[in-house]
Amino acid sequence: MPAPEPVRLGRKRAVPSCPNPLFLRWLTELRDEAREKGLKTQYSYQKAISSLSKYPLPLQNAKEAKILQNFGDGICKLLDEKLQQYYRENGSDTPIHSLPEEAPPPGRQDNNSLAPSRKKNAAGGEGKDRGGGGGGGRKKKRSTCPRRGLAVTPILLTLYRQSQIPGSKGYMFKMELQAEAQHLCDKSFTAPDLGSKYTAWSSVSTLIQKNLLVKTHNPARYSLTEEGLALAERLEAAEQATKDGAEGEREELRSEGEEEEEGGPGVVDLTGSDDDEEEEEEVRVQPAERPTCVAPPRSDGDGVSGKPQISQATSRNPNAGCLLPGSYEIILCVDFIETTGGSHHRKQELVKELQRNGVNFDVRKLNVGDFLWVAREKVAPVPGQLRAPTGRELVLDYIIERKRMDDLCGSIIDGRFREQKFRLKRCGLRRPVYLVEECGKAAAHMSLPEATLQQAIVNTQVVDGFFVKRVQDVRESAAYLTVMTRYLTKLYQNRTLTCRSRELDGDGGSDEEERGTPSCSLMSFAEFNHGAIKNKCQTVREVFARQLMQISGLSGDKAAAILEHYSTPH
Amino acid sequence: MYALRRAKTWEISESEGSDAETKPDLNCDEKSQTVTVSTDHKSETSPSSAAKTESGQSALSPPRPERRGTPSPARKRRSKEEIEADRQTAREKKEERERQKAARAREKEERKREQQRRREAAENLKSLRPENCLKSLTVCVDPALLQQDGSDILLDTLAAFEWRFSIESQQLPRSITWTRDLPQGDDGKGSVEEEQVVLVLDLTDFMDMVISVKKMLDSEGEETEVGSFLGPLLECLNRDAKKVVTLLVTDSQTDYRTDICGFDLLNETLQSKLGMENLDIEAVLVYLQLCKNISLVLLDGWTDVTNHVCAVTKALSKRPFKLLTERAELPFCVDGSWASGARVERDGSGLIQVWSKQIQQLNRVSPAVASTVTAAYPSPQLLLQAYQSLSSEEDRKGLLAGLLVKSGGKERRIGPEISARVYRCFTAQNPQLVLD
Repeated sequence: MPAPEPVRLGRKRAVPSCPNPLFLRWLTELRDEAREKGLKTQYSYQKAISSLSKYPLPLQNAKEAKILQNFGDGICKLLDEKLQQYYRENGSDTPIHSLPEEAPPPGRQDNNSLAPSRKKNAAGGEGKDRGGGGGGGRKKKRSTCPRRGLAVTPILLTLYRQSQIPGSKGYMFKMELQAEAQHLCDKSFTAPDLGSKYTAWSSVSTLIQKNLLVKTHNPARYSLTEEGLALAERLEAAEQATKDGAEGEREELRSEGEEEEEGGPGVVDLTGSDDDEEEEEEVRVQPAERPTCVAPPRSDGDGVSGKPQISQATSRNPNAGCLLPGSYEIILCVDFIETTGGSHHRKQELVKELQRNGVNFDVRKLNVGDFLWVAREKVAPVPGQLRAPTGRELVLDYIIERKRMDDLCGSIIDGRFREQKFRLKRCGLRRPVYLVEECGKAAAHMSLPEATLQQAIVNTQVVDGFFVKRVQDVRESAAYLTVMTRYLTKLYQNRTLTCRSRELDGDGGSDEEERGTPSCSLMSFAEFNHGAIKNKCQTVREVFARQLMQISGLSGDKAAAILEHYSTPH
Repeated sequence: MYALRRAKTWEISESEGSDAETKPDLNCDEKSQTVTVSTDHKSETSPSSAAKTESGQSALSPPRPERRGTPSPARKRRSKEEIEADRQTAREKKEERERQKAARAREKEERKREQQRRREAAENLKSLRPENCLKSLTVCVDPALLQQDGSDILLDTLAAFEWRFSIESQQLPRSITWTRDLPQGDDGKGSVEEEQVVLVLDLTDFMDMVISVKKMLDSEGEETEVGSFLGPLLECLNRDAKKVVTLLVTDSQTDYRTDICGFDLLNETLQSKLGMENLDIEAVLVYLQLCKNISLVLLDGWTDVTNHVCAVTKALSKRPFKLLTERAELPFCVDGSWASGARVERDGSGLIQVWSKQIQQLNRVSPAVASTVTAAYPSPQLLLQAYQSLSSEEDRKGLLAGLLVKSGGKERRIGPEISARVYRCFTAQNPQLVLD
C-alpha cells in the first residue's frame, strides 16, 4: 500500500498521480500546443485534463473516457488515435496505465501497475466541494452534462468512511448512500441534468462492473469489495493530504462558486458546505423523489474531511426529519391508471367527481395501490423560478386498492388477486383498504359464482387483514375518497410528522398504535414508491427459490425449507 | 478307610472352606470364577482356612501343605495381581457395556420422543388444516337474534354443515362471535375468541346509530348520549380494541317489485328527515372505519346474513394454517401461474421444460430466450460444464451472449446482460448477490 503523499512545502496542493498518465500526458501536450498557437481549444483540453485528474479508475481505451465530463467525441477520437499509435510503437500489449520512461517524482511511489494507483483528488481537491474545479483556482462554470464517471470518488469515499466507523454495518442502502455521497458530489444523484439521462448514481454501475462495489440483498445494499476498499483508502489518504494544504484555496473558490450558483430546475446543490445556508437547504428546490429527510447540512465549514457522524445524520439537525403542524397539507394521490385506459368515460368520472367535490388531489404513477395520501410540505414559490419548488412528501399509512366486481372476477381467475394483495401487504403501509365497487350488481353477469366472490372478499378482510369498503358505484367511490381526504386532513391537523426510513428503521410495530390515533412516523413517498416497484432486482437466492418451484410438486414452503440449507444453486 | 474318609472330608471341607474363605467381594462379582480362584486362594490363606476348617475337620491340614507346595511362589504373586487386574478389567468391561446399553436405551428413548413430537406436530398441523380447523370452531350466536323472523335459517345452515354453534348471550347484544379450540398443548385445551364480530342490525337500528355518530362528531367529542346501539358497540371496542366489527344491516323493506334497495330508502329517510347529506352519511362510515375499524355490509335478509356468517367461518378456518405455513421470507408471492411446475415423467421427459422454465425465472428472460439456451445446453449440468471449461471470468460471463434467438421472424442475440446474469445466477456463492 503506498503511503499517503507528503505535502510539499510551499505548494497548496500535492502532485497529482493519475491512473491514466498516458492520456493525461497527451492531453497536456495537446493543450500546450493549442496554447502556444493561441487557440481556444486549449480550454477544452484543460477541462478534459481536470476531469481526468479527478477520475480514480484506469480507463481501458478512449471510448471509455467518454463517460467523463468534458470528453467529447473530438477529444476521444484524438486520444484513440494516439493510443493506436502508441500500441503500434510499443506493442499492443503495453500497459497504458504506467509511464515507464518517466522517473517517478520524489515521494511518489511506484506507478508501474495496472491496478488503479493512488488517485489524487488534488486538482479538484480545492474545489472538491464544488466539484469540477479547474487547475489552480479557475472559475468553474457549471457544465450542463454530467457524465457517468464523476461520482465515483464520492461514492467510494462515503462507503469507506462509513466502514471505518466502529460497529458500522458494512454496507449502505441506496437512499443512505445517495444522501451521504451527495455532500461530496456536485452532481445530483436523483435529478438528471438537462440533456442527459444520467445522474450521479450512474457511477454505481460503473463501480459494480469494475468489481469495486457489490450490490446485494433486496432492498439493495451496497458495499465495497476488497479492491474497492483498497482504492478508497488511497483516495481518502489523498483527500486528507489535500485538505490540509488546500484550506485557503477552498475558501477562495467557495466564494467564487457562490456567485455563479444558479439552481437549475430540478438540480439542487445539497453540498451545503456553507453554514449560513443551513436553514435554506431544508426547503430548497427539491425534486419530489429526493429523500430529503435524511440529509442535514454539515454544520461546520469543513468540506470533505471524513466525518464519522455523517451516518448518524438525522440526530444532528432536529428539524431535518420533521414536518411541523401547519407546514404541510394532505393530498390524495390517484394512480394515473385509474384515470386512463379501460372504459374512458367511467374512469374519468372518478376524477371529475373529485374535482367537483373540491378534493386536493394529484395524479401520479403509483407502483402499488390505486389511491393513497401524502403529507406534502407547503412550499412558497421562489421568485424567478418557473416551477414551484416541491416540498417533502411523507406517505400516510392508508392505501386503497379499488376493484370493480368484474375486475375482481378477472383477477381471481388469472391469479393476480393474490399477488396484488401480497404486494400491498409488503409495501410498508400499515392500513390497506380494499374498495369493492358495484357490490349490489347482479351476480349473473359475472364469470364466477357470487358465493365465490363473496368468499374472496370476506377472506380479504379476515385472512389478509384488510379493511373492506363496499360501495355501489363510481360516485360512491369518489364520495368515499372525498370524505377520507377531509377526515385525514382533520386528523392530522395538529400533528408533527417525522420521516421514517424503512430501509434503516425497519417496519416498526403497528399494533402499538391505537386506532384513531394517526401514525406520525411516516415513510417518505420516494422510498415507498421506489420500494414497491414490481419487477425489482433479483437476488441469487430468490431466483433459486423460483427455480426450485418449477419442479412439479415443490411448493413455496418447501422451497423456503430447502433454502435454509442450500441457498444458492452453486 | 481313613484315607477314604479323609478324602471325603477333604473334598467336602474344600468346598466349605472355599466358600468360607473366599473374599466377599469376589464372591459377589464373579461367582463363576469362585471355584478356580478360591482353590488358589485357599493356598494363600491356608492359615485362616486351616483355622476355619479345623473347626470342622482337622484332617484337612495334611493336604494343605501339599497344596501349598504345588503352585510356585511367582505364580502365586502374579495370580494375585492377575486377579486384581482381571477383576478390574472385568469390572470395566461390564461398566462399559452397561454404559453403552444405557446410551442406546437413551437414544432409543430420544428417538421415540422425537417421533412422538413430530407426530404431534403433524397432528397439530393437520388439525389446523381448514377442513379440520372447522371442527374446532364454534359459532356463538346471541339469543336475541334468534327471535327475529327468518333467523332460523342461520342455525339450520350451521347444522347442515355440521359446524359447532352455541347460543349464548354475547357481550355485544345482537352479535355473533367465534371461538376456536387450540390444539392440545401441555397445559390442556384452551380456546381463543376470534377478533371478528358480526353485529346484525336492521335498517331502523342502523339509522339510529348513524344519527348517534353524527351527533357525536358534530359535538366534537363532547359526551353526548350515544343511543342504544352505538353505546354498547363503543363499550365493546373500548374493552377490546382488537375486535373487528362488521355491521350487517339487513333490509327487510326492499320492495322487490321496484328493486329499490333499502339503502336508498335509508338515504332518503336520513336526508329528508334529518337533512343529512350524502357525504354526511359517508362521514359517519369513514369515522367508523378510521377510528373504530368497523365495516358495513348491506344485505337483503337472513339468507344473506347466513351466507356472510358462513363465509366468515370458512375464512377463519383457513387462517391458522395459512399463517403457519406462509413463509414471508420469500420476497415474492408464491401463488401464481408461474409456480405450477412442469410435470416430469419417470423416463425423464419433461425435464427440459422444467429447465426452460427455470431459466425464465430471471427477470426479462422470455420463453424464446430460454429455449435458445436449452437448445444449446439441454441440461444445467451441461451449462455448468461449459462454464468450467472456460478459464476466464469474462468468457464465462459472455458464454451465452452470442446465441441467436429467433422470435417473431426476427433474430436477435441474447446479449451480454442476460448472459452475465445467468452466469452469476448459477455460480454465485453469495445468495444475497443482486443479479440485475
